[in-house]
Amino acid sequence: MTAARRGGDNSGWMDFDVIVVGGGHAGIEAALAVARLDFSVLMITQNLDCIGKLSCNPAIGGLAKGNMVREIDALGGEMGRLIDATMIQFRVLNRSRGPAVQAPRAQADKLAYQTLAKKTLEQQKNLCIFQDTAVDFILDSAGHEIRGIVTERGRRFHAAKVIVTTGTFLNGRIYIGEFSMPAGRLGEPAARGLEQGLSRVGFKLGRLKTGTPARVHRDSLDFSRMEPQFGDQDIVPFSFSYDSVDRPRLPCYITFTNQETHRVLAENMHRSPLYSGRIVGHGARYCPSIEDKVVKFPDRSRHQIFVEPEGLQTAEMYLNGVSTSMPEDVQQRFIHTIAGMEHAWIMRPGYAVEYDYIDPSQLYPSLECKMVRGLYVAGQTIGSSGYEEAAGQGLMAGINAARALQRKEPLILSRAEAYIGVMIDDLVTLGTEEPYRMFTSRAEHRLSLRHDSSDMRLVEIGREVGLVTDRYYQRFVAKRVGVEEIKELLRKRRVAETDVSALRALQLGGNFELDSSLGKTFYQLLKVPEIAMIHLAAVDRSLAEPRPIEWLRQVELDVKYEGYVARQDRQVDRFQRMERMKIPADFDYNALSGISNESREKFKRIRPLSIGQASRISGVRNSDIAILMVSLGRWAKQAG
Amino acid sequence: MADHQNPPITALATPWGSSAIAVIRCSGLGAIELVDRIFLPAGKLASAAANSVHHGFLVDPDSRVRLDEVMVVLLRAPGSYTGEDTVEVMCHGSTAGIQRILALLLAIGFRQAEPGEFTLRAFMAGKLDLTRAEAVNEIVSARTAESHEMALQRLSGALEQRINAIKARLVTLLAAVDIQLDYPEEDSGEVVIAPEAVVEVRDKIRELLASYRTGRIYQQGVRVAIAGRTNAGKSSLFNELLRQDRSIVSETAGTTRDYIESTIALAGVPVRLYDTAGFRDSSERVETEGMRRSREILDAADLVLYVIDAGEGVHDSEPAMLQQLRESGRLVGVWNKIDLPAAGAHAAPHGFAAVSLNTGQGLPQLIELICERILPASLTWNGEPVIDSLRQKQLLEAADSALGHVLEGLAMQIPVDAVALDVEEALHSLGAITGEVTTEDVLSAMFAGFCVGK
Repeated sequence: MTAARRGGDNSGWMDFDVIVVGGGHAGIEAALAVARLDFSVLMITQNLDCIGKLSCNPAIGGLAKGNMVREIDALGGEMGRLIDATMIQFRVLNRSRGPAVQAPRAQADKLAYQTLAKKTLEQQKNLCIFQDTAVDFILDSAGHEIRGIVTERGRRFHAAKVIVTTGTFLNGRIYIGEFSMPAGRLGEPAARGLEQGLSRVGFKLGRLKTGTPARVHRDSLDFSRMEPQFGDQDIVPFSFSYDSVDRPRLPCYITFTNQETHRVLAENMHRSPLYSGRIVGHGARYCPSIEDKVVKFPDRSRHQIFVEPEGLQTAEMYLNGVSTSMPEDVQQRFIHTIAGMEHAWIMRPGYAVEYDYIDPSQLYPSLECKMVRGLYVAGQTIGSSGYEEAAGQGLMAGINAARALQRKEPLILSRAEAYIGVMIDDLVTLGTEEPYRMFTSRAEHRLSLRHDSSDMRLVEIGREVGLVTDRYYQRFVAKRVGVEEIKELLRKRRVAETDVSALRALQLGGNFELDSSLGKTFYQLLKVPEIAMIHLAAVDRSLAEPRPIEWLRQVELDVKYEGYVARQDRQVDRFQRMERMKIPADFDYNALSGISNESREKFKRIRPLSIGQASRISGVRNSDIAILMVSLGRWAKQAG
Repeated sequence: MADHQNPPITALATPWGSSAIAVIRCSGLGAIELVDRIFLPAGKLASAAANSVHHGFLVDPDSRVRLDEVMVVLLRAPGSYTGEDTVEVMCHGSTAGIQRILALLLAIGFRQAEPGEFTLRAFMAGKLDLTRAEAVNEIVSARTAESHEMALQRLSGALEQRINAIKARLVTLLAAVDIQLDYPEEDSGEVVIAPEAVVEVRDKIRELLASYRTGRIYQQGVRVAIAGRTNAGKSSLFNELLRQDRSIVSETAGTTRDYIESTIALAGVPVRLYDTAGFRDSSERVETEGMRRSREILDAADLVLYVIDAGEGVHDSEPAMLQQLRESGRLVGVWNKIDLPAAGAHAAPHGFAAVSLNTGQGLPQLIELICERILPASLTWNGEPVIDSLRQKQLLEAADSALGHVLEGLAMQIPVDAVALDVEEALHSLGAITGEVTTEDVLSAMFAGFCVGK
């Protein structure tokens, strides 16, 4: 690595392998991945103090999202470690439900999170950070390959690959009632110019909208009128790098809107930019503003609000559930109708932000765009929503930019391997008309995509990519071996008279007849609904000690859901067969006379890589897929 | 657009063998122009309109010899079965003549069609989807009006509608689960899948599964063998049954001491009827060989009409065989010649139908009994869609088994998010029947099953 490439010299001829535009959650993962794979990378961002900002809710994880954070970690990404080090409350959601829908979620100390993110970038070898705004691209003379970027201040940076992760800043405009101004976040200017560069490259741009609630001062709230919600005592780290983390456990508080709140909102609906027609961008159906909820669910007498601390060093509290773009006087009036918030002091108002996004179906599953080689886009810029979604895409874009430099095939995670795979496949195959948020129900093979199995699914892949460290990998191998050892012990250990009485002493309840278990193996016993691994470990200490609790939990899930996992694996096999039926890049869809014109146009636009992907394009007839299969298969020869 | 760019292929579309008329199908790029080169009057076909019929001669262009006088049906792309230019030549059905015409067609540029290739082309041209392609095969091989009607119904999508109705129920169950998947426990109530709802859906699947036997009987027919000692009246019964059906399809004569075989329709079911050699003690070699074959036929038969001469009674050698047939549920006993005076001397074995094939006494009752045994009332087609392919049966069984897993999971208190996996599995299997899900196996199975020329 030369000094120039290291970025020691800020003159215009400097050259990087990769440029990352944007310092949000996608940009962080992209830049770190590229740098860790030993390529020089320049991160350009508008404001160094805003790297890794949690623009909206002070939390990481949640249903399906928590799984993605752990997947990022297993692949060698950073988000898991960032939140582990800065969390102020941890919970596993859906503990009462099945393993496929459980997910970790943590409240973050926002400031600590972004500080640590910036520090991590600063300490990363091969990575330079520079404060400026990218306004255009440099292309080769034919316009088919990326060469670099031009900044607002006229600087030209050259690179072989460029990753765009501009979030909500692209031509962003915020709305608070009648007030509006160009901005990416409140108080931060929008990024202007690059949208034109993207248009010139051939991207179709659209408008999306998202919003955030007001932040209020902790001391102005009456928590006695709210219900505290405590986190779990046991913290399961997001990262597989260690067994435990020691972090503060702050409570959140639950309160509700009421009829009076709804009346205030209804009376002022005409002043909402959402309903006055000033905002044209589509918002997420799943994450509606409070005014949306009042309009769309008129029968609901109340909506839940989680009051969440934004950090240890701040009194700001986040009002999760009442995102709004109402005028500030209306915000104050409706918030004051809520129990415990009668005297709430609004420190920052809620607002809506509208921004340009590009149609993700113009990208390959590698996140490289179809029009210009070497240009990758990730995160909110391609229509997703959420920190975890952005980070997952950023990591994949970074990995794939590096792999392209290594002249390797892109890494494309399948829908059966990771939520990240589901997300990217959805985006590039279906496009999106509203901010795309990850949901458990989007994944077909949920049981295989448990958060706790992220390492089993992905560490080997991360290792092959080169982002998983030796230490991390050794821990993983030890766990894999250890889990199998425990299972072997369970298979050998038979239930004796003494075990039956020991189990009876635990008073497990249920309809289970303990006597009938005599002579069975512990493995068989663990399949009984009432019996958990902790019960077996209580009967036979040698099973548990000296093994981490996570291993035991893994064994329990594996055994209890063995039949389901086996059946899911068969479904996955079936699915993978379709994924493995590759469609050549130069396939001539015009030669298929039997398919509908609509399908033909979609195939030509999306350019699916496999029959599997082709079958997921919306509006494509099943019979057209069958025709495509036959034409690609051995039957094609017979057809002449 | 690369429309109808497929090379021209040809094959005999009617069964191989002598018949009054045979049809040779020619399809593909240039099919009309090629046939025109050997057609007299010259140039008539090339300029002919689509969907037209022409009379003329096929002529060897080198020797100028007229091969046959033919009628030609001309169809132009895309308005043909394959979606390509197609000529169907109706010629005289002599095997030698057909061979000469096919040889000529190959000589002027046609290729012999692979099995199923015409249907494959129709499929590739978007002319028919998989379930319908499957039905085409069965229409072609339908042997009675009922089996034909069933296949036609499939072609029109009646089965698809029925399966879609079942799928809709399962989708509703899953939709409730999906809500629970996406909202944490605090925000949404617990969704339960009601076992009764699953049982209801499973019953519907089982109903369809039960229809497989019905479909199978109508489609494949049954084998009925007539057995008994010599002179018990087997041939009389054989001829009597033949008289029941005027539309006898074929008759193959064996040696008098071997067996005679014929295909008839009884109760709308194709019946392959065998008159076997009589059993008697004989050291004659041909006779023994004939009896060995009779044994084979009896073993393969779905139903055995065992005829006993009432005047002779049950022979010492017979009870063992009767017992065996009765146990396998394949026996229809016929107590013949009750009109003879000697008949009163012996008691009919249990369950035997008393009849005189000579006078016709008891005959209508016997025919009715045979029909009932061939097609029990429970399997009689009621006009509802039935399944008749093994593939559909296996998929329905897979769906049935997946729903079994659902019920098991619910009983075991497995969380619904895991149980949902089995509901999805059932949906997948049902989707594979209606062609919503296409797998390689289906495609290869489909197109391997076709005969040349269909």
